[in-house]
Amino acid sequence: MKKKMMSLVLTGVMAVSMVATAAPAMAAEGSATGDHTLSVFAWDANFNIPALKAAEADYQANVDPDFVLNIVEQSASSDVENAVTLAASSGDYSQLPDIVLFQDHYIQKYVADYPDAWVALDDIEIDWSDFGEEKLSYSTINDVHYGVPVDNGTAIFAYRVDLLEECGYTIDDLTGCSWDEFIEIGKKAYETTGKYLLSMDGSGNDLPYMLLQAEGASQFKDGEPYITENETMVQIIEKIVEMIQSNVLYLGNDWSDYTDQTIIGDMVAGVMNGNWIIPTIEQVPENSGKWEITTLPTLEGGKEGYASNGGSSLYITGNCQNVDLAKDFLAKTFGGSTATYDAALKDGGVITCCISAGQSDVYNEGVEYFNGQPIYTTIVEMGSHVIPVEQNDYHYTCRQYIGSAIQQILEGADVESALADAESQLRFAMGL
Amino acid sequence: MTEKKNKSAIQRRLIPTYIFLVIWSLFSVFPLYWMITAATNNTVDVARGKIVFGTYAVENFNNLIKSQNLWGAMGNSFLYAIVQTVLCLLICSLAGFGFELYHDKAKDVLFGILLLAMMVPGVATMIPLFKMISGAKLLNTVWGFILPAVATPFMIMMFRQNSRNFPVDIMEAARIDGLSEFMIFFRMYLPVMKSTYAAAAVIVFMNAWNSYLWPKVVLTNPKAQTMPMLIANIASGYTLDYGMMMMGVLFCSLPTMIIFFILQKQFAEGITGAVK
Amino acid sequence: MNKKKMGLVAKQNAAGWVFLAPASIMIFIMSFYPMVEAFITSFKTGSSANMQWADPITYNYTRMFQDKLFMTSVGNTFLYLLIQVPIMLVLAILLAQLLNNKDLKFKGVFRTCVFLPCATALVSYALIFKSLFATQGLVNSVFVSLGIFKENFNFLGTAWSAKMVIIIALIGRWTGYNMVFYLAGLQNIEYSVYEAAKIDGANGWKTFWGITVPLLRPVIIMTFIMSINGTLQLFDESVNLTKGGPANATITMSHYIYNNSFGQGVANFGYASAMAFFVFILVAILAVINLKVGDTRD
Repeated sequence: MKKKMMSLVLTGVMAVSMVATAAPAMAAEGSATGDHTLSVFAWDANFNIPALKAAEADYQANVDPDFVLNIVEQSASSDVENAVTLAASSGDYSQLPDIVLFQDHYIQKYVADYPDAWVALDDIEIDWSDFGEEKLSYSTINDVHYGVPVDNGTAIFAYRVDLLEECGYTIDDLTGCSWDEFIEIGKKAYETTGKYLLSMDGSGNDLPYMLLQAEGASQFKDGEPYITENETMVQIIEKIVEMIQSNVLYLGNDWSDYTDQTIIGDMVAGVMNGNWIIPTIEQVPENSGKWEITTLPTLEGGKEGYASNGGSSLYITGNCQNVDLAKDFLAKTFGGSTATYDAALKDGGVITCCISAGQSDVYNEGVEYFNGQPIYTTIVEMGSHVIPVEQNDYHYTCRQYIGSAIQQILEGADVESALADAESQLRFAMGL
Repeated sequence: MTEKKNKSAIQRRLIPTYIFLVIWSLFSVFPLYWMITAATNNTVDVARGKIVFGTYAVENFNNLIKSQNLWGAMGNSFLYAIVQTVLCLLICSLAGFGFELYHDKAKDVLFGILLLAMMVPGVATMIPLFKMISGAKLLNTVWGFILPAVATPFMIMMFRQNSRNFPVDIMEAARIDGLSEFMIFFRMYLPVMKSTYAAAAVIVFMNAWNSYLWPKVVLTNPKAQTMPMLIANIASGYTLDYGMMMMGVLFCSLPTMIIFFILQKQFAEGITGAVK
Repeated sequence: MNKKKMGLVAKQNAAGWVFLAPASIMIFIMSFYPMVEAFITSFKTGSSANMQWADPITYNYTRMFQDKLFMTSVGNTFLYLLIQVPIMLVLAILLAQLLNNKDLKFKGVFRTCVFLPCATALVSYALIFKSLFATQGLVNSVFVSLGIFKENFNFLGTAWSAKMVIIIALIGRWTGYNMVFYLAGLQNIEYSVYEAAKIDGANGWKTFWGITVPLLRPVIIMTFIMSINGTLQLFDESVNLTKGGPANATITMSHYIYNNSFGQGVANFGYASAMAFFVFILVAILAVINLKVGDTRD
C-alpha cells in the first residue's frame, strides 16, 4: 500500500515534469531574414486590427502574394507599452514582434528611454508632406521619422440632432458656439430629454486636453507644466466643473463606464472625442440617422474648435530581423495606399490622416448612421486645421493630476488651490 | 420524550445562530450566484442587474470561444497549476520534514530567515525576477511561471507545523530496520501526512490558478496566457460584453471550486493539523 | 538524540540539510536575491535600460516622502488594513465558533458556503463586484426600488463609497479563508474544556474570551500576519475593481508601485524599488510586533 502510494506519487511527479519540459517554449516573435512574414502587436479588434488586416490584404494583392502578417492581438495599448518596457529593461528584445502599434502620446518618451528598441525610418519611401502635420509631430523625434500613422485622432463633436430639435436647436447652433452657449443648450437638453449633452471618462481626462488644444494652448510650456499661470487652463477647468454641476456633462468612472453606460447605454445627446469613438456610437442601431458631427465649441465662441486625441502609429522594433520587408510593407500600405485606407475605413472605421488617401470615393460617401453626412471627408478636412501644441512625455501624468484636481474641486476645493496642487505634484513627478 | 424536548430546546436556542449563518452564507454565495446567472444573460441585462437566469448562455459561450482562446488558456492554467502544485508540495514537504524532524539550532535560525521571504512584496521582486527568467530564456514557459512560487515559506511552515504530529518513535524503529532517511520520507511520512498534502494542494493550486500579477509580467505571448489574464483582458477591452465576460469568469472559477469540493474533507483535516 | 553515536547523528543531520536544501535555495534565489537587487536599484534613477546612481544617493527615498500620491496610497492601504482586517478576523472567529457547535445541523453546507468565495479568482471576484456596484448595476436597482436611494448612486465613482466597496469585497472574499483556520484550531480544543467551563457557570461570552481566544492565540497570530501581509500588498482589487480611481482616491501601495514600473509610460524602476522597500519594512515591522505580542511558543 505504502509502496504503491510512493510509486504513484513519483510517477506523477515525473509525468508532469516531462509534460512541462515538453511544453514548447513559445518561439520568439520576430521573423527571420528573407521570408515573407511579419508579426505585429496591436489592440482593439473593432478598430486597429481590421485596419492591419486591410493592409495585409493590400500588400498580398499588389506586392507579395506570399506575404503573411501575423497580428498578435493585445487587450489594450498598455500591454504593448509593457512589452517594450520589459524587453528594454532586461535587454532581451526577443519577445517583441517586428512591428508594434504604439500610442502617440507615449512614443517620445519610449524612444528617448529605449533607443535600441526602435528602428528609424529615415530611408523609407513615404511622402511625409502628404500627412497631417500635427499627427507627425508625435512620431518624429529630432527630425527623424520613427512611425507610420495609422489613424487620425481628430476630435469630433457628435450630436443627436433629433434630441436637439426637441429642445428647439439645430446642430448649427452648436457649431462655432462658445462653451457658455453650449452650457445653456446643455441645461435645456437635460431638462427636456433627461440626457447629458456630453460625457467623458472621468479617470482618463481627455476633456481638458482637447479643450485646450481647441484654443491652441497646451498643458506645458518650454518643457514645464503650464497650469496655474495658464489663464486658458483655469477657465477651461471652471467651465468643466460648471458643466458637471449643471448636469450638462457626466463623468463615467472608467473607460468601460464611459463607453458602455453613457454612450451605448444611451445616456447622452452628444459625444466628443477622437473620431475613433465613432464605432462605439454606431453600436446602438436604433439611433441610426439621428446623429451628426461638427467641430468643438471654444471659450470665446465665434470660431470653430479643432483638436485631436489619442491616435497611434506603427513602429518597427529593434527585434525586427527583416527591416527591409517591414519598411516596404509600411510604405506600400499605410504610407499612402488608397486600397489599404479604403478597406480600413470600411471594416474598422479607421480614418486616415493621409491627405490624398482621404479624397477617395469611399471617403466622400454619405454615412447613413450620421444622417447621410459625409463624415469621413469632413473629419479629414477638420484634421488639417488642428493646431500642433507643445507635447510632453508626461502627457498622461499631467492629465491624471488635472483629473484629480477636478475631483477635488467637485468635492469643494477651490479651483486655484486644486490646480496649484496638481501643478506641484506634476512638477514633482517630472523631477523638476 | 424529555430527550426530544431537550433537543428541540437546543435547536430553538440555536435559531439566532442559524439566522446569522444563513445571512452570511447568502452574502458570500450571492456573488457566485450572480456570476452564474450573469453568464446566461446578455450584456444589457447584466449591466442593468437582472438576477434571474436568462437564455443567452449558449450565445455568450460561443462569443467567448470565438473571440478568446478559451481552451488554450484553460489548458495553460491547468498545466501551470498542476506542475506548480506537484513540485511545490514535494519541495516544501521535504523542507518541512527536514526542519521539524531534524531540527537543531542552525536549522531553526535558517527557518526564521526563510520566513522573512513571506514579507517580500511581489512588486519589489518582479523586475529582477523578470530579468532572471528572461536571461534563462524561460519567458512564456511553465518554468518561468512556477519557479518563483515553487518554494514558499508559508507552505514550509504548514508542513513543519503538521510534522509535529508525526510519530517520531516509528522513525527510530524504521532506522533500526535499516530504512534510509529518504525511504522514511517516502514510505512513512508521505502516507501519514496525506491530509496535509491535500490541504496544501488545495491552497497551492488555488494560488497558482488565481495568480495574476506575475503571469502578466512573464507570460507575454497570448498563447501562453492564463484564465485570470484572459478574463482581465476581456474586461479591459474597448467594448465590453458583460455576458461573455461573466461566462469567462465562470470558467475561471469552476476548476478551483470543483477541486475544493472534492478535497474539502482532507483540506479541513490538513489545516487542523497545521494549527495544532 | 545526543545519546546516539556521533556518526549516526551527523548522518541524520546531513539528511535533514539535504531535505531542506531545495526549498531554501529556491527561496534565496527567488526572493532574497531579487530583493537585494531591488535594494540596489532603489538607489538608481533614469531609464530602465540604462540606470545611473541617483544623486544624491537617497534621492528616491526622500522623493517618496514628498510624494503626495504615494502618501495617499499609504493612507488608503492602512485604511483598508485598519477597517478590513479586524472586522474580517472577528467575523471569522465568530463564524468558526458558531460552526463548531456540535448540535448545529447543516454544518457542512454552511462551511462550504462561507469558504466558497475563496475558491474564485481574485480577478473574477473583483469583476463580479464591479458589475454589482455599477451605476446601473444590481445594488443600485435594488436600493432605488426599495426607496432607499432616490436615484442611482455612483458607488465606484465616489471616493468614500469606492473604498467601502473594496473593503466589502475583501471581507467577502477572505473571511471564509480565515474561518477555516480558526475552525481547525477550535477542533483541536477538547470539548471537555468547554464542558468544564459550563459547569463552572461561565457564559458564552466568558468562555469565548477565557478559553477560545487564548487557546487560538497562535492561529490568531498566524492569520493576523497573513492578513496584514496580504492587505499591505493589495493589488488585484485596486486594479480590477476601481483601477485606483476615482482620480487615484482608492489606489494601494502595490498598485502605485506597479504604475511606476509599468503601463503608464513611465518605467521608473528605481523609484518603484524604493517604494517596494518601504512596503517590505512596514510588513516586517508589523509582523515582528505581532510575533512579540503573541509569542507563546515554548
